[in-house]
Amino acid sequence: MKTLFAATSTILALGLSPAFADNTLSLEGKTIGVAVVGTQHFWDREAFNGATSMVEELGGTVVPVDGGRDNQVHADNHDVLMNRGVDAVISILGDGSVEPKFEALQAANIPVFAVDHPSPYAVNNTTSDNYYMGTTIGRYMADAIGGEGKVAVFNAFENSLRICGIRTGLWKYVLQDYPNIEIIQPELAEEFANAPEDARRQTLDLLSQYPEGTIDAIHVGCWDQPAIGVVQALEEAGRTDIVVTALDGGPETLEIMAEDDSPFVANVAQQPRLIGQTAAENVARYFAGETLLPQTYVDVIPVYGQDGAKAAYSKLGYGEIE
Amino acid sequence: MQVSARHQKHRLATLVGFLPLIIFLALLLYVGLNAPNFMTVVNLKLVLAQSLPVVLSVIGLSAVVMAGGDDVVSGGIDLSTPATAVLCAGIVSVMTTAGQPLLIAAGASLIACMLVGVVNAVLITRLRMAPLLATLAMFVAVVGINNVITARKRLNLAAESIASLRQDFVFGIPLGILLVAVLALLAYHFLHRSKWGLNLQAAGGSRDAAEISGIRVDRLVAQTYLLAAFMGFVTGFFMLARANGYSPGAQDNLMLEMVLATFLGAAFSPRRIVTVWGAILGAVLVAAISIGLKTIGVNVFWTDLIKGALIVIVVALSAISERVQ
Repeated sequence: MKTLFAATSTILALGLSPAFADNTLSLEGKTIGVAVVGTQHFWDREAFNGATSMVEELGGTVVPVDGGRDNQVHADNHDVLMNRGVDAVISILGDGSVEPKFEALQAANIPVFAVDHPSPYAVNNTTSDNYYMGTTIGRYMADAIGGEGKVAVFNAFENSLRICGIRTGLWKYVLQDYPNIEIIQPELAEEFANAPEDARRQTLDLLSQYPEGTIDAIHVGCWDQPAIGVVQALEEAGRTDIVVTALDGGPETLEIMAEDDSPFVANVAQQPRLIGQTAAENVARYFAGETLLPQTYVDVIPVYGQDGAKAAYSKLGYGEIE
Repeated sequence: MQVSARHQKHRLATLVGFLPLIIFLALLLYVGLNAPNFMTVVNLKLVLAQSLPVVLSVIGLSAVVMAGGDDVVSGGIDLSTPATAVLCAGIVSVMTTAGQPLLIAAGASLIACMLVGVVNAVLITRLRMAPLLATLAMFVAVVGINNVITARKRLNLAAESIASLRQDFVFGIPLGILLVAVLALLAYHFLHRSKWGLNLQAAGGSRDAAEISGIRVDRLVAQTYLLAAFMGFVTGFFMLARANGYSPGAQDNLMLEMVLATFLGAAFSPRRIVTVWGAILGAVLVAAISIGLKTIGVNVFWTDLIKGALIVIVVALSAISERVQ
């Protein structure tokens, strides 16, 4: 009920026609393919669950496919959906591999509704306000280190995923106004699968390269799974004076932020389930004849410090942290 | 009395021997009856198209297993092929993105891939390392080298002509499928019909006997690792076409599917040995089942369990039938 209320309020906030309020939307008799790049991470799983549950709630049938965190498999899954003959596809995440698949689906008159993947071949893309995420985390990180110091950044996806380009690009844009903040070169590149363990190893290597006092912050440019490993490495090495910032704010990272003396100080939390639900509702709006804007933005919640993490955790409905 | 018991046992073994294939075909039939558009030509093309990288890499792997023997631990195996494939894809992507002509990029990646094959061959035939360990180590090392080269970043396809492997047709048949079919036929001819191939099988069957009859086993084994590296090189281009560029991390899934397909193929073959045809059949059937499960709309959280259980059952049946025999 709470999520339904949240969904309704977002739709109203988006200024969409009240004639298409929740109770009139329907996917009765429609088969909707839902393709997700992976289901290992909270964000992906929540967006996927949000989309599939909303399609079913609206009376539609779901054909789910999971890429197992392999972008090629994820792209191939779109072919399976096309051949299966679905009425529409909701495609969650994915890199450039999916573009030819989107193009083929469009040519076959199967509308594509993307999540976190703007594409000329998609009817609409539902995403967080990535611009706000990027600038906010830039300001928060600069504040956390007193406006000066050396920062290492995990930035594997700035050039390959548009959402990451926005987030990291705007983080860098903010840092332009802090001439005393230096980004350590070369930037680090995290793995897409097994991100926490990989980031832990890379952080330990980084720490041995940069002795105490020569590095002030570690930022993860587009998400926060690697930050789990970063914090582990800092704790193992006893270097928790280094500030950690990242984006996404799922329950597992908010919990880390809520610990006493956590180095993980700032985040911007997304609402992945609501994003998935909104994408499914957009499909229904499309079939109801409504014209959709190219992008649907879902609100984010900035999180700063231990108390902020606890508050966001509760606000997002993940429970209470004592 | 004893004779008839043995006879019955033999019949039982034959039946159990066919069970893996029967189970797979039954499952395919079930999927075909329940999944819309599954038993169509378009879907057959889809199954073949999606299995191409696995088919190419199992050609190399089955040659290695045939020459080195099919004991998974001590026999011939090349786990580095998927890494060689992504190395090829990585080098070609980085160089063509930097504006180099495709031919130069392909040449450079061919040299790099064959170097991997040479190192494998030296480690295994000169230093006598266990192939499983040597090639697993090479897998890790080559993926590492590739991460350095590509900085682990996604690179979109810069050489458009590679996309023809995905989208072009010749006589109504997708070009990629046609090319792989030709390569598969060639591989079948050389591995199962030529003198070289027969020597290879003799070496894998019994190394000592082969050496006594004058076959230079080490040389043959080394050649199969070079062949596997070359197949990795070819696979790289198909992966580039498939992903419309280089996406990091594709080696893990390919490794799993390559090994599974090759040894599933052995379970399908009446004599339980690794063959090129068995491995290719394994690759295609695994792709078909995967696509089938997705088409029916199986819960994604169950798909891996179902696939895993199916493979365990098939391989277990194969082992049982061998013991009964």
